[in-house]
Amino acid sequence: MLEARQLSKTYTSDGVDYEALKAVDLSIGDGDCLAIVGKSGSGKSTLMHLLACLDVPNGGNVLIDGRDTSTFSEKAKNTLRNEKFGFVFQQFFLNGRDTVFENVVLPLKIRGASAADIETNASAALAAVGLADKKQKKAKDLSGGEKQRVCIARALVGDPQVIFADEPTGNLDSTTGAAVEKMLFDLNRDRGITLVIVTHDDDLARRCDRVVEMKDGRIVAEHLTEATAR
Amino acid sequence: MKTWDLIRTANRNLFRNKLRTFLTVMAIFVGSFTLTMTNGLGDGMRDYVESQVKNIEGDRAVLVRKKIERPNGGGRTEDTQEYKESSGNEGELDFDPNSILMTQPQIDAAVRDIDGIKSVTPRYNIQGEYISLEGGKKYNLELGMLSDGLIAKTEAGSNVKNDGEIAIPIGLARTLDPEIGRLVGKTAVIGYKIPDGSIKTMPLKIAGVLTKGFMTNTNSFVGAETARLIRIDQRTEQGADKFIGFTIQMESTDAAKIGQLKNKLDTKGFEADTVADTQKRTYDAIGIFKTGMNLFAMVALLAASFGIINTLVIAVLERTKEIGLQKALGMGRGKIFAIFSLESVLIGFWGALLGALGGIAAGLITNKVLLSVYAESFEGFSLFAFKPLSIAVIMLLVCGIAFVAGVMPAIRASRLNPIESLTYE
Repeated sequence: MLEARQLSKTYTSDGVDYEALKAVDLSIGDGDCLAIVGKSGSGKSTLMHLLACLDVPNGGNVLIDGRDTSTFSEKAKNTLRNEKFGFVFQQFFLNGRDTVFENVVLPLKIRGASAADIETNASAALAAVGLADKKQKKAKDLSGGEKQRVCIARALVGDPQVIFADEPTGNLDSTTGAAVEKMLFDLNRDRGITLVIVTHDDDLARRCDRVVEMKDGRIVAEHLTEATAR
Repeated sequence: MKTWDLIRTANRNLFRNKLRTFLTVMAIFVGSFTLTMTNGLGDGMRDYVESQVKNIEGDRAVLVRKKIERPNGGGRTEDTQEYKESSGNEGELDFDPNSILMTQPQIDAAVRDIDGIKSVTPRYNIQGEYISLEGGKKYNLELGMLSDGLIAKTEAGSNVKNDGEIAIPIGLARTLDPEIGRLVGKTAVIGYKIPDGSIKTMPLKIAGVLTKGFMTNTNSFVGAETARLIRIDQRTEQGADKFIGFTIQMESTDAAKIGQLKNKLDTKGFEADTVADTQKRTYDAIGIFKTGMNLFAMVALLAASFGIINTLVIAVLERTKEIGLQKALGMGRGKIFAIFSLESVLIGFWGALLGALGGIAAGLITNKVLLSVYAESFEGFSLFAFKPLSIAVIMLLVCGIAFVAGVMPAIRASRLNPIESLTYE
């Protein structure tokens, strides 16, 4: 379970303070499927970064399974992100010259997993996103949709509890975007992986169970969707 | 991340930009090549000098000379001396030659209270004229005395041990008989001039044929007693009991006693050296030469290390997003630092390896060429000598320099903020 308590973040650039997040409270349960929506600059990405321990808040706390992450060492946070979280970014961040396999296994390599575990998990993750046959292809030779599926496989390979997806369909056309969305929702439904999607796409948000709407660094609305009722 | 994965990642990163990596490696190559050559040159010279001086040994012998007292107060000075009409003839030495001579009683007095001395013998200055074997042709003879306690290495036979023996250089030996082994034990006749201008002869048994060296290339040697007899024939009245040097032979190689002896002699106005001291001075001179040459090579390496810094700084910028992703996925600072440091060390390693191989190849080729051109005068001499230990030290040094060069870029990479890096344009 992920919890934000009075979370604030202020960026300073050229001596001017900019409050990106103002005392935000949010609770995300295990297996939740949550969308954080808002215009650009609303603080939705900042909130995700803080929840994922990619950044340090100026005020408030992030709790993971009841433990305050502000007490964690740098190393403990690295381990937490590596073992408990998976990430899917709008820009993919794949290494085009490396093979699909090498891109997918990066989290396991960082973890220092054994060669056998790496092989097994990578095959399973690639099969889950339907790219088992593209394993040895160079990442740069893939289509946009395939690239994002590789990213999902990379997020999945370490067997995470939470997947953070930042505009996962932002760079995709509607058809391939829909396929990627379905894949993420399936992971949430079938494997109980908590899904936190940051998006400004209302259609995508509506398909999540819960939507948190942000504006000027605050949560202005929070509601369950029709998808929940279904 | 496992160490092996770190190395593989670093290596793969280097191959991503082959041209840039190649050029940086080439800069290191030049430095490593130069260092291998300069070091090989120093080692080659040392080997040569060692082969030339090591054939005279004597770890129980101390060679004594008188300290040179210069009339202007001693020591070399850059002050120009005023010309004095009365100061003597042109071309005269700036010290009295008699001032370097000494007598047996002087030495005996100086070392009287030191124990462990086996013998104190003067170094007799003798001149030979010719040598001939069994009534054959006469050959020029350069004659010297081998002091008690000194051992000259031989190719055949043995060092002069007894009265009436002579050891001859290998060149002379080959002229007398190509099969030098046959000469040992034969009796040769030597001729030497005496003060009235006539030539006196003396039969001597050939004890051995000397190994080549600076002192033994042309000189034949007799022992102290034989030298004394020749000296008696050759001496003039003036300065008959004065000598340019003495050799003190100790009963043992006890370094403390030798040190005590040297100190004592020093306070009495004498210079005392063992053979090892003399050799050490030569080696030190070569060592200084080698260090000087190596410094030039180090300048090349210093320049190349800036190439590494440049390459890595650019790589950090190029790979900012990748570093951001790695950090987001949980890679720690230490591992990021390690990857960049390894890249740096790998550049250094390849440059060092290629440079060392290139340097060795160039040195060996030069040796061959020199040998074919100057074989006569430099028998057994290699201009360049390459020792595995030296090469290993050079390679470690270059890798070390490369590591240091990589520290700054690697720290920059390790300190990148993941969020800023992921959004870096």
